[in-house]
Amino acid sequence: MPIASNDELGYKPLDGGWGWVVVFGAHIAIGFAYAMPKALSIFYNDIQEDLECSSSEIALMSSIMLAVMYAGGPLSSWLVLRFGSRPVVILGGLMCGVSMVTASFGSSIIYLYICVGIIGGCGLAFNLNASLNIISKYFLVRRPLANGLAMAGSPVFLCILAPVNQYLLDSYGWRGSLLVLGAIMLNCCVAGALMRPVAQPPSSPPEQKVEEQPNNTNSNLKESCLKNISFFDVSFFKDRGFIIYLFGSIMFIFGAYAPFLFLSAYAISQGIDEHSAAYLLSFMGFVDMVVRPGTGLTANSKWIRPRIQYFFSFAVTYNGLCHLLCPLIHSYSFLLFYTFCFAMSFGMVFALIFECLMDLMGPQRFPSAVGMVTIIECFPMLLGPPIAGLLVDITGDYKYLFILCGSVIFTGGVFLFVMNIYNDHMLKKEKNAKDREQNQKNMEDQDHKDIKRTPKAMMEQTEFEVTEDNGAQGDLEIAETPN
Amino acid sequence: MLASWKQLIFQILLLLISCRHINTTSPDPTPPPLVPIDSLPRDVRRAAFKGEGQIEKVELLNPVNLELVCTWTGHQNKESNITGFWRKDGLEIENSHLTVQLQNEQYQLQQVFNIVSEENLGNYSCVFESEVKIDFVVAVPQIGEIRDKPVVTYVGDSGVITCKMEDSKPMPNTWKWYKANGTDKEEIFAAAEPQRYEIKNNERKTKLLVNNLTMADSGLYYCGAVYTLSTSMGHVELKVITYYEPLKPFMAIVAEVFILVTAILLFERSRSKKNDTEGDMMSDQTNTLSPGENNGLEGSSSMRQRKT
Repeated sequence: MPIASNDELGYKPLDGGWGWVVVFGAHIAIGFAYAMPKALSIFYNDIQEDLECSSSEIALMSSIMLAVMYAGGPLSSWLVLRFGSRPVVILGGLMCGVSMVTASFGSSIIYLYICVGIIGGCGLAFNLNASLNIISKYFLVRRPLANGLAMAGSPVFLCILAPVNQYLLDSYGWRGSLLVLGAIMLNCCVAGALMRPVAQPPSSPPEQKVEEQPNNTNSNLKESCLKNISFFDVSFFKDRGFIIYLFGSIMFIFGAYAPFLFLSAYAISQGIDEHSAAYLLSFMGFVDMVVRPGTGLTANSKWIRPRIQYFFSFAVTYNGLCHLLCPLIHSYSFLLFYTFCFAMSFGMVFALIFECLMDLMGPQRFPSAVGMVTIIECFPMLLGPPIAGLLVDITGDYKYLFILCGSVIFTGGVFLFVMNIYNDHMLKKEKNAKDREQNQKNMEDQDHKDIKRTPKAMMEQTEFEVTEDNGAQGDLEIAETPN
Repeated sequence: MLASWKQLIFQILLLLISCRHINTTSPDPTPPPLVPIDSLPRDVRRAAFKGEGQIEKVELLNPVNLELVCTWTGHQNKESNITGFWRKDGLEIENSHLTVQLQNEQYQLQQVFNIVSEENLGNYSCVFESEVKIDFVVAVPQIGEIRDKPVVTYVGDSGVITCKMEDSKPMPNTWKWYKANGTDKEEIFAAAEPQRYEIKNNERKTKLLVNNLTMADSGLYYCGAVYTLSTSMGHVELKVITYYEPLKPFMAIVAEVFILVTAILLFERSRSKKNDTEGDMMSDQTNTLSPGENNGLEGSSSMRQRKT
């Protein structure tokens, strides 16, 4: 059941108009964020020869970039809360540009780790985090679609950057390529310029609360302090829905990337030629590109939006199931079918992963929540592929990798599904208890106010108030499930 | 009289010796000696005719007595005798014509060749009746894994070119590097210019490091895998460019970004100014550009109350 509603934002989000331009900007920023670490792998061989390092050392560069991108979440959230999305994305774009340009002069692998890994990763973190935040500000009714479109940036940019990087490498070598890539990444600043800040109305709820307690200066200080360090808000861990989401997504991220990385190697081991194996990955990219906005559109529909958490758990379970069935496949056509299902489920999960968090936490708490989630997700993301790789090295068979990843993801999906049912059940109970308390309080207030009225009239009034409450509740539910 | 007979015999002997000498030293490029030298090891390669354009690869490292055996099952109407001969590099080898008998339903041609030097390597073909042919490409192991795209480096930087002999093929004795000079190849001696060139050899792999690159260093570089019989060559192109080459697209894209960002921000500023003036003139009209907070507040007032 969606928790966020209009009053949390304090204004009615645009849900269109300039919002779509913002989605386009977010598409670019998120596209660079996810695609760049993967697209850099095209330069690995040349950098390896020039700097005389091993292949695992060079692969670490991309891992550091991805890790810092996720670990930089809380810092990014804090900056977004203070300055808004636009300056943060512009800063992110500048940092990425500078990182690539300085890396082009590198003469040691450590230098590349710092330039590309840390500075570049930080820039990407700002891009990713701020883009997600601005979507939550601009959209409510059409938010799943907006998220789906923005997240589609990842496969789109991967498909664009791969041949571009290859062309740059052939023309300018790896140094020149990094220089030109730095300029290309500055386009994130353009994306940031498009992210016009949403004007906050003067009477927003947190400020109202502060006004209501003029005497309690201590609590004022505490609240402002908490606001300043809200990127490490531990109160999230008391939220049942958040914990469930966190566990589910940790399990998903752990198993998500390893099959991706080993897919072509597995295909080659099954006797498929290199060219067809490489084609599998591009096929995945195309399917992913289409599935993400499609999922966003589906999730926006009347039937699925209220049950979006279940849709997310279905997508995760489907992904796990795909991996579990993969070891049974040996022919190319079936492998193609597996790739199709893998890409579809992968796209579905990623289109929904941040939408579900927005749905759970609401637009006010989302900035801090997403920072928290990304820094925690950093660990399974770093651990997953090496452990899977180790399994392949020890057993010498790829099927154990798929079984491991598939079972972890499948368990995560089932966990999400079951715990969401439990959570909804508990929320309903708490809501009913709250409503009963509220009614009782109203009745008592009525008793105190109108002592002169006859008991019969009082009963009629309370009945009327109860029906009015029910009516308003019905209105809100209709408003939350868009047509 | 005896003296003249002695002289005649001596002259005849001298003539015979010199003739033999002439025979053995006459330049005869195409046919290798058909008489095998027993001290060399023997290597036998067989091939059965499968179809037209059949090519068999024979990889040799050291001098051997190479015996090539061709078999053919023949046409439908099998004659008992057919002719067969051998070719090297398209030219017929003298004295190689043979009459082949039909044995066990197939014809068989075999010949032993003395492969001792680079001249003996090439394309050997066995031919049946001038129509059925099997080619044997006799050569040292070729470098298969070689970079086909040029290595791009910058002036003043150092460039690395690698050549590798695959694990499935035999290791070369040593490696040599050559730089293309017009149509010729000049060998690179790293010892002669240690500041400029450095060659690192590692059994299967060789690396040529060129320091302090200049534009003149661009061109084709040949790596040679040296075997006893011959050297197999592979080439890699080195391209040296100045920093200005990538700087041009870099500046173009930076300019594009700057223009777009400025345009977007200016557009927004002009639009917000227009809104401010409009807002002053029509105060009770709701703004469509800034998010409709008035609408939101009106619409959600009843709900907000319910939510507390």
